[in-house]
Amino acid sequence: MTEASVSVWQLRWRRLARDRVALGALSVLVLLYGLCFSAAWIEVWLDVTGVDTDLMSRFDPIDARHWLGSDEAGRDEFTRILRGGQISLSIGLFAAIGSSFVGTVIGATAGYFRGRVDMVLMRFTDFMLAMPALPVLIILAAIDLTKLGFSQDFVRSGAAGYWRIVLIVTLLGWTTVARLVRAATLSLVEREFVLAARAQGASSLRILWVHVLPNAVTPIIVATTLRMGSVILTESALSFLGVGIQPPSTSWGSMLTNAQELMASNPLLAVYPGAAILMAVIAINFVGDGLQSAFDPRADPH
Amino acid sequence: MGRFLLGRITGAGIVLLLKSFVIFALIGLMPGDPLDLMMNANPETTPEQMAHLRAMYGVDLPITQRYWTWLVAALQGDFGYSRIQHRPVLDIIIPALGNTLILTGAAFVLSTTLAVTLGTIAALKRGTWIDRIINLFAFAGISVPSFWLGLLMIYLFAVRLGWLPAGGMPRPEQGFGGMLAHLVMPVMTLVIVETGGLARYARAAMIEVLSQDYIRTARAKGLTDRRMLVRHALRNALIPVLTLVALQLGGLFSGAALTEAMFAWRGMGRLILEAILGNDYNLALVCLMFVTATILIANICADIAYTWLDPRISLGKRRR
Amino acid sequence: MHTVCGMTALLETTNLTVSFGDRAGWFRPAREVLAVRSASIALQAGEVLAVVGESGSGKTTLARALLGLVPIAAGEIRYDGCDTATMTAPQALAMRRSVQMVFQDPFGSLDPRLPVGAIIAEPLDIHGIGSPASRRARVAELLGLVGLAADAAGRYPHQFSGGQRQRIAFARALAPSPRVIIADEPLSALDVSIQSQMLNMAAELRARLGLAYLIISHDLAAVHHIADRVATMYLGRIVEVADVDELFTRPAHPYTAALLAAVPRIGAGKWMPGAALGGDIPSPLAPPTGCAFHPRCPAASSLCATATPEMRAIRAGHDVACHHPLGTA
Ligand SMILES: Nc1ncnc2c1ncn2[C@@H]1O[C@H](COP(=O)(O)OP(=O)(O)OP(=O)(O)O)[C@@H](O)[C@H]1O
Ligand code: SF4
Ligand SMILES: [Mg+2]
Repeated sequence: MTEASVSVWQLRWRRLARDRVALGALSVLVLLYGLCFSAAWIEVWLDVTGVDTDLMSRFDPIDARHWLGSDEAGRDEFTRILRGGQISLSIGLFAAIGSSFVGTVIGATAGYFRGRVDMVLMRFTDFMLAMPALPVLIILAAIDLTKLGFSQDFVRSGAAGYWRIVLIVTLLGWTTVARLVRAATLSLVEREFVLAARAQGASSLRILWVHVLPNAVTPIIVATTLRMGSVILTESALSFLGVGIQPPSTSWGSMLTNAQELMASNPLLAVYPGAAILMAVIAINFVGDGLQSAFDPRADPH
Repeated sequence: MGRFLLGRITGAGIVLLLKSFVIFALIGLMPGDPLDLMMNANPETTPEQMAHLRAMYGVDLPITQRYWTWLVAALQGDFGYSRIQHRPVLDIIIPALGNTLILTGAAFVLSTTLAVTLGTIAALKRGTWIDRIINLFAFAGISVPSFWLGLLMIYLFAVRLGWLPAGGMPRPEQGFGGMLAHLVMPVMTLVIVETGGLARYARAAMIEVLSQDYIRTARAKGLTDRRMLVRHALRNALIPVLTLVALQLGGLFSGAALTEAMFAWRGMGRLILEAILGNDYNLALVCLMFVTATILIANICADIAYTWLDPRISLGKRRR
Repeated sequence: MHTVCGMTALLETTNLTVSFGDRAGWFRPAREVLAVRSASIALQAGEVLAVVGESGSGKTTLARALLGLVPIAAGEIRYDGCDTATMTAPQALAMRRSVQMVFQDPFGSLDPRLPVGAIIAEPLDIHGIGSPASRRARVAELLGLVGLAADAAGRYPHQFSGGQRQRIAFARALAPSPRVIIADEPLSALDVSIQSQMLNMAAELRARLGLAYLIISHDLAAVHHIADRVATMYLGRIVEVADVDELFTRPAHPYTAALLAAVPRIGAGKWMPGAALGGDIPSPLAPPTGCAFHPRCPAASSLCATATPEMRAIRAGHDVACHHPLGTA
């Protein structure tokens, strides 16, 4: 096949593949996700546990079984980090996708219908943007769900705690995507291929779904990636403050809460989870940055 | 100008009002309202007593009515009492506001200066290793959890080396030196976290300005006074940076909340966290209102500064 | 005069007016651009009608109004004698199906994210014509009709040249078997050599499929080649309509004459006013009073500045809006 028959995505992938930093970051990220979600097998293989307490082996030093030693309750620190990562990384993924979804719906609606709809939605976006994010997140995280009619059992369950975090981070995180998608939609609906569809009598839904969103996918992907990083940071802060992931579940942030008290005697226990967060978020940000330049239309042939 | 300001202030007032209602409603959904707490303290409370208490506290009224009562009092300057500290909330908030201003003000000035400097250097040395190193630091700053950074600093500088106090406020007799010693770590934390994104933004703005026609023309004409050029470009690049800074004040504040909590700095952020986590409703609510008002005022100031810096824009035209 | 659905022209406008404007803001009055003013044109079945005029004269707006892409402020549009404003939904759908558009910019009118097959099949999808298999067959047939290989269906717009893209756009317009194709400067983005290929293709398809064309063009040579009738537009108004040979040999409106004067190959007539078209087209926000052309018109009298000339027939099939039409005095 000739150069002319290469699709947009192939071109983009080639540009990304030439970006060594982004590719390195992507590998780190894939490895991190892979390791975390194989935690159960690694535990079997090393014959350790990151879940059950073992008071006989508290603060074990680093050795062939305990790659990072063990913590104050005798749990293996390495596999515990991996298990914490399962929660932190998957919340990052889900909440980022969730925010992008909400932001895309709101941004596309505002940009497509314009006028009054646009004005109302954008004022709402400004309103959300000016929220002091962390305090509001804490309030949302602390809301007593039984007052909203949920059952006690549900509220106490680990799943409720997990999805509550995903939900609230989603609810406060969609503004950037909404603005990007709105801007893209505003310019796309003026393009002639959209007029061509409208002249046929295509429905708004069809125009948005077939013509607008596929053409706005670039900023959405980049923003979703970058959002993943900030979600992981937010979740860790909430868990660190004790309003995020609750024991017995664990995330990198909640591991730091415990480690803080043991700082003087066992500083390393506070180093590992934070380093894991830093590694994941920095990799995500480098990938997002790489995607951004690989997708830059100014580099496209047309 | 007057009209523009009036419009902006009215808008901000409406946002503030809306926000106070949303936060009021949300806080009402938090666990442990005064009655829950009383019940826990005295399990023998009878249902009749409960009903009586509910009526007394007005908890059985609809949310809009309770909000109205609160609002009317607040507008008359009566912001109520803190449940935990048993003092009028204003007495608590004002010193905290001062402390926060000291901390975030210092961090703000330092990080903006640093970001613009680094961004300018990176833009001028675009593509070199200097650019790459600055970029790496910027990314590290964006990606590090601030509370973890604070934790590591406390361990290193306070626990291990003993150079700095681990946290808390300086006592009056410690003077300026004491203030500085207590400020170093929280300010450093904030600066590291805030500078990265801003520096990348400043770099992009600078590159944009440097590639604009008049600058290229000036260069082509042999205007080689680098300092003149940089000063000129800087003035133009500052505009978007400033706007971003103002828009991110909410973010800066969130960052400060965690940092204040880490270093036991008695500012608004820490106060809010304590109030929320300790079910001190009224205090939390009033604090959040103060913070939101500050953010809104800062945004208006940014708009004015924006116009002042860029003569091409007249007040009244919105961004976007 | 209200027409019931019945036999008249295929596509027709009466006193069509399109206005763009923003509503009054807090600090400024509303602004209004009358992009099309009281324009009446009629396209007969199987006919080629060309609309010519300078940039900004409202040609694109007229075309878009015909397709229902911009709201109309006054006047009416009739398809097959039926007023579009009072059409039933099935009638409107039938019209959308039968009146197709080819846009000016072959890079902008094709969705870069869709393969060519999907682009051409879009009208079929929207109107629910045929099964997926029959649509694929139709796409292959259409590609052959416009002279593209059948494997083009699986490729993307950016893999084609400008001329090929315009063929794709043409194939899309042909897909639902329309009766009218409205083409807004379909050639202006193409190389000259490709323009003549496209013209030949359009002429051939017209003969084969019995299409009517409404062609908007700057290119008077091409218009002369393909059109049956020509309408001249100036500042939103139709100022002259005539058969193509009549208009090119005996233009009656000074503006048409000036346009023709700019085309040396054709405008060698002796009747040409000495002055070429000077000055710029006035702002449509504040059009001149009377005949909008009077500040630039070599034949203008004091009447022209105050009274707006109405369209009237000076010969059979030759209408003009001018107080002092050329070649009649
Ligand atoms: N969406 C719009 N909003 C406001 N004004 C418009 C809009 N579209 C067109 N106009 C104005 O209407 C007038 C007619 O424009 P139109 O595009 O129809 O001219 P045209 O004859 O097609 O010009 P060209 O040859 O440059 O394509 C112009 O003054 C233009 O500025
Ligand atoms: S009406 Fe008068 S100004 Fe207008 S075109 Fe005719 S002669 Fe010229
Ligand atoms: Mg046009």
